[in-house]
Amino acid sequence: MYKLIKNPFNGKEDTVTKTEGDITLCIPFADDNTDYQAYLKWLEAGNTPLPADTGA
Amino acid sequence: MAYGTVSADIIQSSVPGVSLGAGNASIMKNRIINGAMGIAQRGTSTSITSNGQFCSVDRFRTYTNGTWGTGTFTATQSSSAPTGFSNSLGITITATDALSTSTASYIIGQTIEGNNTYDLGYGTANAKTVTLSFWVQSSLTGTFGGVIQNNAGNYSYPFSYTISSANTWTQISVTIAGPTTGTWLTGTSGSIYVYWSLGANSSLLAAAGSWTSTANISGATGQTNIISTNGATFYITGVQLEVGSSATGFEYRQYGQELALCQRYFYKAASGLGASGLGEAFAAGTYYNTAQISAFLNFPVTMRTAPTLYYTSVAGYYRFDASNTSVSFSTLTTYYVAATGTMIYNASTSGTQGNGGIMSTTNASSYIGFTAEL
Repeated sequence: MYKLIKNPFNGKEDTVTKTEGDITLCIPFADDNTDYQAYLKWLEAGNTPLPADTGA
Repeated sequence: MAYGTVSADIIQSSVPGVSLGAGNASIMKNRIINGAMGIAQRGTSTSITSNGQFCSVDRFRTYTNGTWGTGTFTATQSSSAPTGFSNSLGITITATDALSTSTASYIIGQTIEGNNTYDLGYGTANAKTVTLSFWVQSSLTGTFGGVIQNNAGNYSYPFSYTISSANTWTQISVTIAGPTTGTWLTGTSGSIYVYWSLGANSSLLAAAGSWTSTANISGATGQTNIISTNGATFYITGVQLEVGSSATGFEYRQYGQELALCQRYFYKAASGLGASGLGEAFAAGTYYNTAQISAFLNFPVTMRTAPTLYYTSVAGYYRFDASNTSVSFSTLTTYYVAATGTMIYNASTSGTQGNGGIMSTTNASSYIGFTAEL
C-alpha cells in the first residue's frame, strides 16, 4: 500500500512510500520516474493511498 | 592526402573475432549497458518471481507482455563465461509454467534509453540496420527466441537463434533492418526493448525475421520455452547492439566506465558493514531541529530522472553519529529529489538542533540504493 509523505519544509505532499517486507520505496513525484508512473496507474485503477502523517 | 575508401561495413583483422564495424565509431558502439554482466550492484543472486525484477546484474530485468504465471527462477551473476569474459547472467528454472494461459509471457532483457538511440532513426525512412550479438549457453537445445520492440509493445521484430549443443557457449548474431514505421520514444524514455524469451503462449509468438505491428509479441514462433523445464539453465553474456549489418568484436569498457553507465539507472549508496566491519557512511547532515536529522546525498553521476529511494527498513539498520553520540533508526525519507542528488531525513530520533553528523549503516543487511530505471 502506498502512503503519502509531506515534505517537512513546505508541507506539500510530493512523495509516496511503499513497503514490501523489509524493503521500502520512497518515490518522488517525478514524471519520468517509472515507480511514480506505476503509482499513477494504481490511482487510475481507483485506489487510494494512506494519508500522510499529521504534522509530518 | 586521401587514401581511398574501404567498401565494406566491417574491417576484419587477422585476429579471429577482432574487427572494426560501421557504427561510425570504434568506442561506445555498443548500445547495451553492462553487456559483459560485470556490474551487480543489487547483489549476485536473486529469486525471480515476477515481472519487473532485476536479474542481479545491472540493467537486465524481467518483463512480461502478458501475465507472469507460476514460473520462477534464480538469476545470478555467474562466473561461467566464454573465453574473453568473466561473468554471465545465469538463470536456473525453479518452478515451471506450461504456458497454457493465452497471456503467459516470460522475458529477460534490457531497455535502451531514447537519448542513446536517436541516431538510429527508428520510425523514419532513414532507420539504420543494427546487429545484436551475444554469447549464450543452455542445458536445452533447439531454436530459441527473442524480440526487439518499441515502448508501446506494438511494433516488434521477433528473432530466433539456435543452440545445437547443450551446455556449450555459442555466439549468436542477429541482423535487424531498421524499422521505418512504428513509434520510437526519444529523450529519457525507454526507446528500444531488447528481449530474450524464456517462454510464452503460442498466441504471443510471431514469425522471426520481419517487423510486425501485432501487439505484445513475446518471442519467435517455434521457440523452445525454457520456463517449462524445471532445472533448465540459460546463461548469456557479451551482449552487444551496434549499427551495421555485421557483428564486430565486443566493446570492452573499463570497469569504472561501465559502472558509471549503470549508475545513471541505479546507484547503490551503501550496503552491509563495509570493509571496516562497522558500517558504511552514506550521507552527512545535521539535526535540523531536535527531532529531525536532515542530510544531503550527492549521486556520482546524473541519473536518468529523480530516483526512487530503495532501502531495507528494519529497526536499528542505520545510525547518525553527532557530537560523540550515536542514535539508531530504521526509516528514511527523501525530499527535494533531483537527478543529481537528494535530501534525506529521519524524524524519529532526538538530538541537539544544529549538531552535525554522519549517517551510516549498522547491519550486514542494511542497504540503500536509488533507482531511476526504465
